[in-house]
Amino acid sequence: MVFLHFVRSLLFRPLTPLRIVGCGVALSALFVCASAALAGAGAQEMGNLPQVPATPSLRPYWHVFAAYAIAIALIGGWAFSIARRLRDVEDRLTQQGE
Amino acid sequence: MKTDNVSVAGLRRGGMVLTLIGLAGLLLLFWLSFFWVSTEIRQGIVQRIFYVHVPAAWTAFLAFGISALCSAVYLWLRDDRLDRAAACAAEGGLVFATIMLTTGPLWGKIAWGTYWTWEPRLTLTLLLWFIYLGYFMVRHSTEDPEKGKRFAAVVAIVGALDIPFIHLSVLWFRSLHPQPVVVKPEGPTLPGDMLTTLMTGLAVFTVIFFGLFLFRYALEGLRAEADLRARQSTA
Repeated sequence: MVFLHFVRSLLFRPLTPLRIVGCGVALSALFVCASAALAGAGAQEMGNLPQVPATPSLRPYWHVFAAYAIAIALIGGWAFSIARRLRDVEDRLTQQGE
Repeated sequence: MKTDNVSVAGLRRGGMVLTLIGLAGLLLLFWLSFFWVSTEIRQGIVQRIFYVHVPAAWTAFLAFGISALCSAVYLWLRDDRLDRAAACAAEGGLVFATIMLTTGPLWGKIAWGTYWTWEPRLTLTLLLWFIYLGYFMVRHSTEDPEKGKRFAAVVAIVGALDIPFIHLSVLWFRSLHPQPVVVKPEGPTLPGDMLTTLMTGLAVFTVIFFGLFLFRYALEGLRAEADLRARQSTA
């Protein structure tokens, strides 16, 4: 719901169901095509790879998840910060226009 | 509404398209990183941090490079649009540099046994981060905004001079960082699936940066418009 409001406030006014479905289909198609193409291209390399050793502890998993979470949080934080500042400056412009 | 010659709606539309493509690509990158790419034999699972750490570094350097370039041309032409673009790129660069500087130590703790060490590449990268933090401090530290923009432009150019040293530091000095595995005279030495995942990460982070950059540039344009109206109403 919050994400839809965010998208709406940024671009689509009004946000029609057709547009939502269109965006969803387009993104899904992009995701599937890119995944299939990359998986096919990389599959040939897989045969020559060394065997994966057993991981000695679970600690590295937390480091990997934390790193990916930090990346998502900082990019998302920047996006929401821009959206908030855009809304503020638009409110200011609206007040100046009145 | 128009800011200069570019419509805000156009910037937003472009930004939205790029950001959505970038977010879809981010999902693809996460899938590749966690389920598809092979595990590096010496470091194990923690090496997968590579696929966000290096793209974040690349995007940060790209953003700082754009900021320095726009700043240099701003000092020459004194066009406010260039100053705005430089500030927007610098802000994005700072975000991606923060990702680089926080994900790297998480990897280093497992690979090197320590979160941080004052080796050349880490030190120069931290210096770059502080220089661009200083960019925003300098920008807002003068009573005359035009003077602040000029000073900040100089800081952006000086900061970008650090980037080649960061890249070459692993060749010039003894460093815990590995030697380059992609940008080499004889070509990349990464296995194919790792290179594919890395290139996907580079593309995704770059697209996300440019998507949010467009929104940020639209914001700066609107802010300049609001400031202009405020000055006119005061006069």
